[in-house]
Formats: sequence, C-alpha cells, structure tokens
Amino acid sequence: MRSDSEPRTTTSGSRTGGGGRTGPLAAPIARHRVALGMKLLLYAVALTALFTFPDVAPSRYEVTVAITLLNYAVLATAWNFVGGFTGYISLGHGAFAGLGAYGTALLVVKAELPSFPALFAAAALVGLIAVPVGYAALRVRGASFVIVSIALVLVLLLVFQSWASFTGGSRGMVVPRPFPGMLRTEHHRVFYFLFAALLALALVTWWLIDRSRFGLGLKSIREDEDKAQALGTPTFAYKLVVFVVSAVFTALAGGLYALWFGDLDPVFQFSILSGAYMVLMALLGGVRHLYGPLLGALVVGYALEYSKLEYGDTPLHLVTAGLLLAVVVLFMPDGVIPAVRGLAARFLGGGQSSIREVTAAELLHGQRAAGSAAPPDSRTRKEVSS
Amino acid sequence: MPSAGLVFQSVLLGLLLGGLYALLAAGLTLYFGIMRVVMIAHSAFLILAAYLAWWAHRETGVDPLLTLVVTVPLFFLAGVALQRLLLSRLSPVTLTMMSVLLTFAIALVIEGLLGYAFSGTQRRIRLGYSSTSLELFGARIAVVKLIGFALAALSLLGLYLLLKHSRFGQALRATIQHREAARLLGIDTDRVAGYGFGLGLATAAVGGTALSLDSTIYPSLHWHWIGPLMAIIVVGGLGSVPGAAIAAMTLGMMQSLLQIELAATWAQTIFYLALFGTLAFRPQGFFGGRLAQRF
Repeated sequence: MRSDSEPRTTTSGSRTGGGGRTGPLAAPIARHRVALGMKLLLYAVALTALFTFPDVAPSRYEVTVAITLLNYAVLATAWNFVGGFTGYISLGHGAFAGLGAYGTALLVVKAELPSFPALFAAAALVGLIAVPVGYAALRVRGASFVIVSIALVLVLLLVFQSWASFTGGSRGMVVPRPFPGMLRTEHHRVFYFLFAALLALALVTWWLIDRSRFGLGLKSIREDEDKAQALGTPTFAYKLVVFVVSAVFTALAGGLYALWFGDLDPVFQFSILSGAYMVLMALLGGVRHLYGPLLGALVVGYALEYSKLEYGDTPLHLVTAGLLLAVVVLFMPDGVIPAVRGLAARFLGGGQSSIREVTAAELLHGQRAAGSAAPPDSRTRKEVSS
Repeated sequence: MPSAGLVFQSVLLGLLLGGLYALLAAGLTLYFGIMRVVMIAHSAFLILAAYLAWWAHRETGVDPLLTLVVTVPLFFLAGVALQRLLLSRLSPVTLTMMSVLLTFAIALVIEGLLGYAFSGTQRRIRLGYSSTSLELFGARIAVVKLIGFALAALSLLGLYLLLKHSRFGQALRATIQHREAARLLGIDTDRVAGYGFGLGLATAAVGGTALSLDSTIYPSLHWHWIGPLMAIIVVGGLGSVPGAAIAAMTLGMMQSLLQIELAATWAQTIFYLALFGTLAFRPQGFFGGRLAQRF
C-alpha cells in the first residue's frame, strides 16, 4: 500500500524533524522498520483469515456472504482500473458484469461449452465488445463518458428483457452447475477460493500497472489530460487499453458469479445500481490506493448484506446508498484511506517526507489560496512555482 | 407496409412526445451550460412532480394541472438550493465527475423515498377527459397528450423569451458563455447560476405534470427517461438548446414510427443507437458549438 499511486507533480516541501546534526535519520529509519513490521504482520493476519475462513465459519450463510463480499471486491477493483488510474467515472460497469454473466451462461447452455472455458471465452468476448464502446465513450471527455456508461446499462437491460427467445427475458436464465455432483457446502468452498484467486489476480495486475510507465501515463491523464497529451502520452490508446482490461476483469467476476449463483435475471444483472455500488465502494475506500476498493467493498458490501438480513428488501436501501454516496462525494472524495493515514501521521508524528507528492487539484487549490501572488491563469503556470 | 393514416398518426404522436422531450432536454442543457453538470436526477424530479400531481389528485380531487402552481415554485427553490448548497461545494477540478455522482445519489434517494411513501405499484390519474380524443385528418389524438404538448410548448416559449429578452436572461447567457467576463461586468454569477438551476428544475415540474396526465407512473420510471434525455442532449450537441429541441423532435418521431413495427422496448433503443453513433462519428453532436468539443 505504498503511496506511489499518488501523482505527478513533485514539489519540494520543508524538511521536518531533524533538530540537530547528530542523528536526523535515525528516527525515520526506526519508524520505517516499525511500519514495515506492522505491514507484514497485517498481511499475515489477513491471509490467514482469508484461508481459514470457510473452515471456521459458523454456517453456510457466512460463507455465501463472504463470497458476495469477494465478488464485490473484485468488481470494485476492476472498476478502479478506469476510475482510479484515469479519473473517468463509469456508472455503467454493471453492464460488463452482466454481459460476462450472460455470456458465460449462454455459452454453457447454447454452445454447450464446459463451464470454465465458457467463462474465459465470455470474458474475451466482453473485451472485444468493450473496444467499440470505449471508442465511442473515450473520444470525448468526462460528461459524455458518463452518459455513455449509463446508456450502456439501460440499452442492455432493454435488449436482454425484450429478446426473450435468446436470453429467457424477464423469466431469467438458469446456469448449469460447473460441478454437478458436488455438495452445496463444497460448492461454496470452491467458489470462495476461486473468487479469492480472481481478486488476487486483479490486485496484482493493478499493482503492476501502477508501477509501470503505462500506469504513469494513465495517472497523468487523470491529473491533466491536455498536458499529458501535449507531452506525448498516447492518451486515447492508453484510456482504451485500460478500459478493456477493466471490462475483462468485471466480466470475469460477473461470469464467475453466474456459475456460482446459477440463476440470472436481467433486472439484477443490468442494474444501474450495481454499477453505482462499484463506484461507491471504490470511492469510499480511496481510488488512488491498491486496497481502497477492497476496503470499500468490505464495508459497503457487509452493510448491504446486513441490512438485507435485518430489514428485508425495502426501497429504503436506495435511500441509504444514495445518502452514503452523497456523503462520500461531498466530504471525502479521496476515500477513507487518506483520511485515516492523515490521522495516523498526526498521532505518530512526522509522516511528511522531504519530497512530497500532491495532486493537481491540491496544487491548484493551494495556489488559489496563495492569493495575488499566483498568476491569474494558474493552470498554465503551476510547474514553475516552487 | 402500414397504412398512410397510421403513419400520420404516429408522426403526430411523435411530435407531441418530442415536445415533452424538448422541454426536459432544455432543462438538462441549462444545467450543463451553467456548470458543466450532467444532472442525472433531472428525470427523478420529473417523476417526483408526476407523483405530487397524482397524490394531490387522489387526496383532494383537484385537477393535476393545478398542482403546477405549487410544484413549479417549489422545484425552482429546490434547484436554487441544490446549486447553492451542494454543487457549488464540489472542487472545480473534478466537478464534472463528482456532480454526476452527486446528482445520481439524489436520484437514488428520490426513487427510494417515492417507493417507500407510495410503494412500487403503478399509478395512473383517471380524469373526466382522460379518454376523450380529437379527430384530426383521420388521426385520433388523446386530449391529454395535446394538453401535455401545449404545456411543454408554452414553457419552452416562455423560457426562450426569458433567456433572450430579459436582463436576467442576458446575465444567464453571459454566465454560460464566459463566467469570468460576466463577473467583470458586474454580474453576480453565483446567484445567476443558482437561478438558472432553479429554472432547469422548474422544467421538470412542468414536464412531470404533463407526464402524469397520460402515463402510468412508478418510482423507477425515471431510468426510462434519463437515458433518452441524455441521448438527446448528446446528439443535439451538449449545451445547445435549439440542437436539443431538434434532436428531441426527430428522435421522438423516429421512436413513434418504429413502434408501428416493433415492440415499445425495442423502439426505445433508437435513442441509444443515435447516442453511440453520434459519439463514434461526430462527438461534438450535430448542432453543438464550441462547448461540445471538449465534453
């Protein structure tokens, strides 16, 4: 969870700590070691919990909740390939999950492919579909992208409901189980680990992109697309590639869900709400961080499952989701991870390194606050100021 | 091949529907022009107004048209409050994306509250003149549809006159064109932007009342409206009111004509086809100006 997903512009801040010349580095190094040790311990605990959970879970219900949470985590992480790196917010990623689910189901039922080859074939097909969609959506900036992403869900819902002869329409569609003879408990156990593996794959891919030159280009798009383009970043190609990668992971999660759950309904598969949940989870956790969407998925997903169990399915869950989204957007658009880290830095002391990374937004804000010293068109001049 | 009479009737119905689309799209265009905000909650407010008209009619028996006296000022104030209290708080750098999420959240809240208050049951207003229709060159047109169109047309005309021929309209257009320059000329752009949002939301109040006259309403209906409306403003060119009106009329008519041969749900896909086609081949829209290029 390094902060190297933070952005572009480096400004030299003031050096903190270090009163005398005797040992200004000793304290930071010790602190670094403690932090590393705690991080390793945290990883160990998390992995142990992950691997032993199906065995210690009190009942089958807990395992199904855990699978649902893992599914949300994969979806939110997959969404974050586009949302986190490029800053383009897609409200329609539910469409790719739905296409992955229906693609897998249709390939199993109509083409009689075995379950898992069908899953991968469906994900590949969704990747192909994402190319023209991304081409139309990414030619233009933000506003139109959002419009296309919502329209995609709505049009697919119409098509999958209307085309009853092919998709089963509103009656839904039953997906054959991948392991016919398996007991239900064992079935859940297998899918628990399959979802965990998919999550690991998504996280590793995100981490690799984050550290690559490709990732740097994507993040430069997020901070200032015009400038990135002017510096020679092939912005359109980058956006399109990462959009397709994101769609493929989303489709894999959707397809795996179809194989696990075994029953599809267009209203739930092509729901605008599922896309909104992905955004909410990623934003709540923090889109600039590897584990942000995972954390958000655990919190939001658990809250969703809990309220479903306690209060049943009332329209009030829409109100809750809406209010939560509004609160996140208004008060912590960077998510809880930066907020918590800020608190931690305050209590542990220090925290700021001599070379600080700030976002373009923070820089602009700081310069506006600086007042008359800043040039009137600070957008074009921000690099030269210290 | 459908008969000429049927085609004529469909064209008329399409035009009547297009009028309503045009009014609502004008509201969306206003928001976009003022703040570069894609207002997802627009159609949720539309359904809210329709529910208010239905509820007032059920409780007191008043004509739904009379609810306009209350809903239009109420929605105007809500629009001003929305802009001044919520949207203006967002950071300007990420405004477009975050405002989409915020208005989306508002749409969810409205849908959830409507579902909670009135349940998900489909509702419809029964009026004395609900089933009356007029004969026009062999086409039968329901009176309620004509009333809805008249409401939409009058409001659009009023909006046009207000924007073109009043001092406030000039200030609003100046704010849309160049905010800093407008401020240098002494326009209180923040207040003008707030009133502009109020006007936009008032179109949803008028549209909702017109909708309640001849449609069955339910809480999640707004998703069926926001898609076509967004397609209209993209095809028309984001930020262009005449473009949105022309696109609304054209697409409304095409939808109506397609319904002769196809089921209603398939006919609605024309909006999305137009949206994808426009973005792939002419991303600035067909009537868009300078604004549309970059969004």
